[in-house]
Amino acid sequence: MLKELIKKLIGHKSSKNTAKKRLQFTLVYDKLEMNDNILNELQSDIINVISRYFKIDKKSLGLKVKHDKNMSALVFNTPILCVKREKA
Amino acid sequence: MEGRIIVVTSGKGGVGKTTATASIGAALAMEGNRVAVIDMDIGLRNLDVVLGLENRIVFNIVDVVNKKCKIRQAAIKDRRIENLFLIPASQSDNKDILSTSGIKRTAKTLKKEFDYIIMDSPAGIEKGFENSVVAADEAIVICTPDVSSIRDADRVIGLLYARSITPKIVVNRIIPKMVAKGDMLNHQDIMEILSVELIGLVPMDEQVVISTNIGLPLVMQNDSKAGQAFKRIARRLNGEIDLPIEIPISKTGIWNKISQKFGLTK
Repeated sequence: MLKELIKKLIGHKSSKNTAKKRLQFTLVYDKLEMNDNILNELQSDIINVISRYFKIDKKSLGLKVKHDKNMSALVFNTPILCVKREKA
Repeated sequence: MEGRIIVVTSGKGGVGKTTATASIGAALAMEGNRVAVIDMDIGLRNLDVVLGLENRIVFNIVDVVNKKCKIRQAAIKDRRIENLFLIPASQSDNKDILSTSGIKRTAKTLKKEFDYIIMDSPAGIEKGFENSVVAADEAIVICTPDVSSIRDADRVIGLLYARSITPKIVVNRIIPKMVAKGDMLNHQDIMEILSVELIGLVPMDEQVVISTNIGLPLVMQNDSKAGQAFKRIARRLNGEIDLPIEIPISKTGIWNKISQKFGLTK
């Protein structure tokens, strides 16, 4: 247990969290029958579109998977810094 | 009242479907129900050896479905547990030998003669799986806390929903020590991923190997932690829906208690 405390203090990631994340994405990919590349492209497209209208923090953009009984949803979260006055 | 047909399935092989079928079936019979456990793994039967009834096979489920014999003739009565019957699979046939209409007709008769009919589905999602779920009223999906098993369970859950069956989950082979370390998915993680109702948590137990070795149902061994867990699952199925689900834990030493306080373990 002391080992765990040290691991926790130095920010060691437990392997189950990796498993969980991998599973959540895999299940969405399985259902939609798509791969990582498509998702990455989608993400950059969305960033591009949003950046035309808003100034956003690209680094803190988060992609999450919401899982429900009937559906899976991809949720993009981005803090908006400010609205752009004129379209680029 | 008509009996309930419950299919035990998983997608992935080797997660404990047959052990679960045998244990839940035996436990339900010990509660006083008339129970038939049916091996649907045509060509690769194993429920008979797990229950220790392999020497008494005369007819099998293929004979019943193809009207070669009566259910009474194929159902082997367990001599240790009253009201427990096994209908074995055929070892020589192919999975395609069973017709959907034949299974449905057989299921109707079974429901009149038994309170519970537990179907042990083969691994996979092909014909053998289809045959096992075609007449099912309910489903129990067995998974273990690893990525491949959970992924396959998710797939099977989807297929069951498509047949208007809402499955319940059993998480099998939990190693509490690893869960505490954060190196094994805990049941909350698994429920979050699969989002279906949980019906039981079964710890990893060496007794499973021993009980299979000697062909004695796990639930007859009082010192088996897994056996106890399966007994509770059976009671929950049998109407005790409020029976709390016990979370398998390792020995609670002082360090465990302290670390749990500080949120180091879940």
